[in-house]
Amino acid sequence: MGVLHSEIPSGVGSKGKIRLSPQDERRLLTSGARWAVENGYGEASDLERIESGGYIEGADPELISQKAYERGRAQQGTLGSGNHFLEIQYVDEIYDEKAAQALGLFRDQMTVMIHTGSRGFGHQVCTDFLEVMERAVSKYGIELPDKELACAPFNSPEARDYLAAMRAAANYAWANRQCIMHWAREAFLRVFAATPKDLGMGLIYDVAHNIAKVEDHIVDGKNMKLIVHRKGATRAFPPGHPELPAAYGKTGQPVLIPGDMGRASFVLIGTEKAMQETFGSTCHGAGRMMSRHQAIRRAKGRAIWREMEDKGIIVRSAGRETLAEEMPEAYKDITNVVDVVHNAGISRKVARLRPMGVIKG
Amino acid sequence: MKTFETIDISGDAGINAYGETVEDVFVNAAIGMYSLITDLNGIKEMKEVQVKAESHSLEGLIVSWLNELVFLFDAFGFVGKRIIIKTFGDYRITAVVRGEDFDPDRHERRLLIKAATYHQLSIAEEKGLWTARVIFDI
Repeated sequence: MGVLHSEIPSGVGSKGKIRLSPQDERRLLTSGARWAVENGYGEASDLERIESGGYIEGADPELISQKAYERGRAQQGTLGSGNHFLEIQYVDEIYDEKAAQALGLFRDQMTVMIHTGSRGFGHQVCTDFLEVMERAVSKYGIELPDKELACAPFNSPEARDYLAAMRAAANYAWANRQCIMHWAREAFLRVFAATPKDLGMGLIYDVAHNIAKVEDHIVDGKNMKLIVHRKGATRAFPPGHPELPAAYGKTGQPVLIPGDMGRASFVLIGTEKAMQETFGSTCHGAGRMMSRHQAIRRAKGRAIWREMEDKGIIVRSAGRETLAEEMPEAYKDITNVVDVVHNAGISRKVARLRPMGVIKG
Repeated sequence: MKTFETIDISGDAGINAYGETVEDVFVNAAIGMYSLITDLNGIKEMKEVQVKAESHSLEGLIVSWLNELVFLFDAFGFVGKRIIIKTFGDYRITAVVRGEDFDPDRHERRLLIKAATYHQLSIAEEKGLWTARVIFDI
């Protein structure tokens, strides 16, 4: 855990160790994880197990502001803070042997789960485009019920530009996760003095979970092209879906649902019912039960890291408050949440993962 | 007079900032936001940064102003401790912010603020007291 914690920058004010030329910055924004693999972060075979091959087409680096470049520069290859994490886990329960085998999961196997995204870069893209959208709302005479909302007609230049910038942010995030996964592998290779083959740390799946994508869906019996924005949700495509990587064509899309740092996380697979009922989507996490303040109050006078250690979970965190906010009881019980989506049929349980080591920003 | 207080929002963080003038409320909102990021007692006035922001409404301006400060922190690590507003009007603000660059070894790490948002945003004056409510994405 110490090696992982020192190899992977995390927490408020942490800086990444990747320095890029302007050409590389642009290439990263159009090629995502493919850029990372070309530059020595991970294996080409990883790309076969990342949503859409590790990058989304249609990203335009020209539409990215100087500010977003500046914010992104320091943070490429950083985990972040808040609910972002890296966990070492083990498989303690298999619910679907056949699917688990297809995903390469078995009982008592060790897994690493990484949850992070486009960092300050994506946020700056959002901040920049809020102004554009605000102007678009009055330009196109759109009435919105809440000033927090912003939009533009899909075929307008404003929306086209936004999508091209958002796609660059998605690619930034894929590159970020790929770099962090690479460093996690290196840490394991070093600590266990093993070869990559012996270690067998293959990627199971990598998916964006706050993204708008153009997808084909059936609405009232008709094929339609829709823009599906999943936020607080994740994609759960069924077996046979054309967008799935070859390895999972027959099984369905692996769905990763992280829980809190003390209880469990789950791997599921997407279903046909999700396509019919939820536009190929399912939940993406446990969801909070306490506000951050409530959690901090509840954690006063307690050593959360020690409580975790007593349960056999080693925690490394940069911020004391982060740990209090993220303590297990601040979240709903993931087991109940996953049972809801499993019983509703919008994704199917494959395996349960128990945490052993947690890095929080 | 209380200059700001943090408010309890599930999943996010927010502040109420107060001031006798609209300028004061802009300053106090910024100090309140910085206090979510770190303990300002540990920040020294070692350098000075010029900041400007503009918008087409007062609400838009406070969001742009705070997001400008978020940008300076996120891109360069700069944390402000003292703020002097130079010009304010026509939904434009220029200011000098004094503080120093964040050092994880010396400064307390609190929240990583990603953006000031329009969620439940308000800024208004009542009986000579200005109040602004801002929720941050973290």
